[in-house]
Amino acid sequence: MTPEEEDRLIEEVAGAYRPRGRDELRYHPAWHDLAAPGRQKAYERALALRTVEAAADPRGLSRAARAVLGRITGE
Amino acid sequence: MAETIVNLDELWPAVVLGDTGAYARWMSLAEPTIRRSLRGFAIHVDVEAVVQEALLRMWQIAPRFEADGRDNGTLRLGLRVARNLALSEARRMRAELTESEVLEAQGVDAEPTMPDPILRAAILACREALPDKPREALDARLESAGNEDDGAIAERLGQRKNTFLQNFTRARRLLAECLQRRGHGTLTELGA
Repeated sequence: MTPEEEDRLIEEVAGAYRPRGRDELRYHPAWHDLAAPGRQKAYERALALRTVEAAADPRGLSRAARAVLGRITGE
Repeated sequence: MAETIVNLDELWPAVVLGDTGAYARWMSLAEPTIRRSLRGFAIHVDVEAVVQEALLRMWQIAPRFEADGRDNGTLRLGLRVARNLALSEARRMRAELTESEVLEAQGVDAEPTMPDPILRAAILACREALPDKPREALDARLESAGNEDDGAIAERLGQRKNTFLQNFTRARRLLAECLQRRGHGTLTELGA
């Protein structure tokens, strides 16, 4: 994997999108393609991105929290 | 004012009654603390998936919470739910966790993460200052909540996924540079 390809995977994994499972926890498919340093980097980036998302949301919700809210309300 | 809440348990009676607005407020203050508590698991499990599942389970088990007289018992429960999920996932993935990784998750204080209005204002100002394409990519992800993958967002914008991700990366880095210039260097990983 080239550094550019790895960067793209990290960018995807750092996003809040996760496939929805019925009962089980679903990983982002690209997470499995990352080695430990890439996974750590994705985690740290996600921490910063969720802060930005919460700041941009009128209710202070990150995309992760909005995704959970969507599952609760069936949206 | 809602910003003065430091004991998240005050929101729980409404949550138990099914008030999604109260639960949204609880999540906004609890999620960052829960997420930070899982740093030690980041190379072993998909923390994003664990955080979202833990938040979903807290909603499902809300009526079973029993206060112990101390503030933020619901947050302590949330931290425990998330840690147990991460441990269970780590075992499923056959990860070899070190003692310090597990202890890190146990050692997080159950303190809500209060919003920082000055940082929020800076983020919004920096977002406004982004060039068109990066701004479009950032906004598209923000609008999608977490229920649309990057391929679908790119398609909605009429772009290839790689192009969309390049624009998003540029937005993220420009945002980090702008925040740095304004004296907000705390989100260092935003520009990495």
